[in-house]
Amino acid sequence: MSTADKIEQGKMAVIESITPSELSLHLMEMGFLPGKRISLLQRAPLKDPLAFKLENTVIALRKSEANLINVKLEN
Amino acid sequence: MPEVLTPETPTQQSTFTVALIGNPNVGKTTIFNSLTGLRQKVGNYPGVTVDKRFANIKLGKQEATILDLPGTYSIYPNSEDEVIVHRVLNGLDKENKPDFVLAVVDMSSMERGLFLVTQIMDLGLPMAIVLNMEDSAEEQGIKVKTHALYKSLGVPIIQSNARSNKGINGISELIEKKMFEKPQPFLNIQELLPESLSIAIQEKFHLKNTYQAYQLIRFHENEPLLDEGQREWLENQMDSSGFNIKQIQLDETQHRYEGIQTVLDKAVEKTDLGRKRLTDKLDSIFLHKIGGYAIFLGILLVIFQSVFAWSAVPMDLIDGFFASLSSSIAKLLPAGVLTNLITEGIIPGIGGVVIFIPQIALLFAFLGILEDTGYMSRVVFLMDRIMRPFGLNGKSVVPLISGIACAIPGIMATRNIGNWKDRLITIMVTPLMSCSARLPVYVILIGIAVPESYIGPFNLQAIALLGMYLLGIVAVLFTSWILKLILNFKEKSYLMVEMPLYRLPRWKDVLITMYSKSKTFVFAAGKVILTISVILWVLASYGPSSAREEAIANIEVPSNDAPQEVQDDYQSQLASAELESSYIGIMGKFIEPAIKPLGYDWKIGIALITSFAAREVFVSTIATLYSVGTDVEDELTIQQKLESEIKPETGEKVFNLATAFSLIVFYAFAMQCMSTLAVVYRETKGWKWPIIQTVYMTALAYVSAWVVYQILS
Repeated sequence: MSTADKIEQGKMAVIESITPSELSLHLMEMGFLPGKRISLLQRAPLKDPLAFKLENTVIALRKSEANLINVKLEN
Repeated sequence: MPEVLTPETPTQQSTFTVALIGNPNVGKTTIFNSLTGLRQKVGNYPGVTVDKRFANIKLGKQEATILDLPGTYSIYPNSEDEVIVHRVLNGLDKENKPDFVLAVVDMSSMERGLFLVTQIMDLGLPMAIVLNMEDSAEEQGIKVKTHALYKSLGVPIIQSNARSNKGINGISELIEKKMFEKPQPFLNIQELLPESLSIAIQEKFHLKNTYQAYQLIRFHENEPLLDEGQREWLENQMDSSGFNIKQIQLDETQHRYEGIQTVLDKAVEKTDLGRKRLTDKLDSIFLHKIGGYAIFLGILLVIFQSVFAWSAVPMDLIDGFFASLSSSIAKLLPAGVLTNLITEGIIPGIGGVVIFIPQIALLFAFLGILEDTGYMSRVVFLMDRIMRPFGLNGKSVVPLISGIACAIPGIMATRNIGNWKDRLITIMVTPLMSCSARLPVYVILIGIAVPESYIGPFNLQAIALLGMYLLGIVAVLFTSWILKLILNFKEKSYLMVEMPLYRLPRWKDVLITMYSKSKTFVFAAGKVILTISVILWVLASYGPSSAREEAIANIEVPSNDAPQEVQDDYQSQLASAELESSYIGIMGKFIEPAIKPLGYDWKIGIALITSFAAREVFVSTIATLYSVGTDVEDELTIQQKLESEIKPETGEKVFNLATAFSLIVFYAFAMQCMSTLAVVYRETKGWKWPIIQTVYMTALAYVSAWVVYQILS
C-alpha cells in the first residue's frame, strides 16, 4: 500500500481508503472514493502541489493532502 | 396571527423565484447572463457579505426572479460562500426562498454534478437539471442518454451548450412553463439517522422530512436561527441516541456516490478516444517549471501595459471634456456662488469619478478573461508552494490579483479559502496590493517624477508603474510573513482546487462583468467622491472672515496701469492667500508639522486628510485645491497644474522628485479607504483586525515615505 503523493507522473493508481482526518469528507465529496482510479498528471514546478486526474476532471492537491489517500499503484 | 387567517397563495402566482445552482466552472454564470443580460443586480444576503446576484425577468405574462447561487460541490459548506447555498436551499433565509431549483451539471463531469443534484433532491424542492457543456463532453467521448437519466432521477432534464447559446431558449421556456418536478428522495436517510431522533427533531422544529432533520443536526453549530437552548437540546438528543455525525456523513457520501454510479452505468456511455486532451497539452506549456512562470509574468506585464496605455486616451478625453464643460458653463451662467459651486465643485467632482471607468473596466475585463479561460486555477497551482512560506496559499493569489482592481472584491474573494488563518492573512495584506484607486495617483505623480522616454519598446513611466505594483507585492509578502510568525492558530492549511478545461473567453460574459463592475463603482464609490468634492469646495472657499481679511490685506495691490505680469502675480498670490486662510487651509496647516519630514506642504496635507475616505479623492482634492481661485478658462489639466505649482517662499517646485516619490510610496502603503475597512470589519466580524490593519499600514506608509524623501532630497 502506498499513498497518492508517491504516484509517478503519468502513472495510475486505485484508491483503497482515505485516512480519517478533518479533510476526509471534503476529499470524498470531490470524488476521491475507494475503488476510483486516479493518475498523476502534473507536479507543480516546485514538486508541490500535485494535479490528479480523476474521472474526467483534474484536481490539484497538496502533497500533504495526497498523503491521506491510500492507493494501490498500477504498473 | 393564526396560520388559518393568512390567505392561500394562488396556484398561478405571477412571480416566483428560481435558484440557479451548480459546481464551480460548469457554465452557470454564462447561463445566468444569457437569461438575464443587463437586468442583473447585485445585493447582499442578510448578515453576510456574499454577493447576491439576481435578476427579475419577464417570461410571457409572468415575472421570475433568477437567483445565481455561489458555485459549490456540496450543500455541506466548506466555506462561507457555501453556507449561503445551504441556507437558501433549506429555506432558512427568509428573504430568499426559492420556489424552484435549476441545477447546472457539466456533462463531462456528471458524477460530481449529480452528487450536488441528489443532495438537492433529498431536500424535496421542485427542480430541473440543465446538462451543460455538450461540446466538451463530446470531445472527450462522453454521451449522456437523457431519457435513461430522467427515468432514474425523476427530474426534468434539458441539454444545453450555453457558450454557443444552444439550449438557452429551452431553458427559459422550461422556467416559463415551470416544468419543475418535486423528486423522490435519492438517498434513504432513515438508514443513517435513528428514527426516534429524526421524529423528535422534526416535531420540535416543524420540519418536513428526515433529510431536513439531518441537515439541522449537521449545521446546528453555526446556524444563527437556533438559540442556545435549542442547540443544547439538539446536542443532548444526539448524545442520548449515540449518534456520530462525522462517521454518518462519510457513510452518506459513499452511499450517495455508489447510488450515482448505478445511475450513470445506465445513462452514460464513454468511449476512450485515445488522444491527449488539448487541455493537457496546454498545461504542459502553462505549467512548465520555467515557461509557466515566464508566461504568468508576461501576462501581468501585458495587463499593466494595456491598462496604462489603452486607458490613457479615453482618460485624456474625459479630463478634457470636463475641463471644457466647466469653462463653457462658467461663460453661460451669471457669475456667483452657485456658478462657482457648479464649475469648481460639482463638475470636477463628477469628472473625478468618471475618469476611473476606463481603468476599472479594463482591469475587470482582464480578470474576467483569466477566470473564464480557466487560467486562474493554473495560477493557484503554480503559486501555491511559493506563497506557502509567507503564510498564504495558492488561493490567496486570486484575491491578491483582484486587489489590483480593488481591495473590496479581493477581500470578499477570500471566502473560498477554507482555512481561517490563511484567509485572515490574505484579508490583512490584500489592501497593500496597488488597487485601481491608487492608479490615478500613481499616474499623475509618475507623470511628474519620471521622464517620458523609452527603454527598448517599454515606456519608462510604464516600468515605474510596474515597479509600484511590484513594491505592493513585496509589501504583501513581507507583511504576511510577519503575520504568519505572530498569529498562532492550530487549524491546518489545505488546498483542493479543480483545474477546468481551457476555453476561449466568452466575450459577452466579459462585457457584462465590465459593465456591472463599472456601474457598481460609479454608484457606490462615486457618491462618496462627489459628496467629498462638494464639501471640499465649500471648505476651501470659505474660512473665518478675520483670518481671511488679514491674509488679503498683507498683499500689495498693484495699480491699475501695472503690466499684465504684475496683475497675474497679484491674482495668484490672492488665490493662494485665500486658500491658506480657508477652513481647509487651517486643517492642512494643523497637520503640516507632522508631514513636513516627508516633504509635504499643507496642501498635500489636505489631500491626505480627504484621501482617508478613499484614495482616489486625492485627484479630485488636488483638482479642487488648485483650480479654486484660478481662472477655469485656461483649462490646464491637473498634471500640468501640479508641475507648475511652486513654493511661495522659495520658488522651488512643490512636486519635486523627492516629494513625488515620497507621496507615491505613502499612497502605496497607507490604509486610506473607509470602504475597505468596512468590508474587513464584516469579514472578520469585529473591529480588532481593521484597527490593527489601519495602524500598521499607516505606520509602514509614514516610515517608508520618510526614508524615500530623506534618500532622494
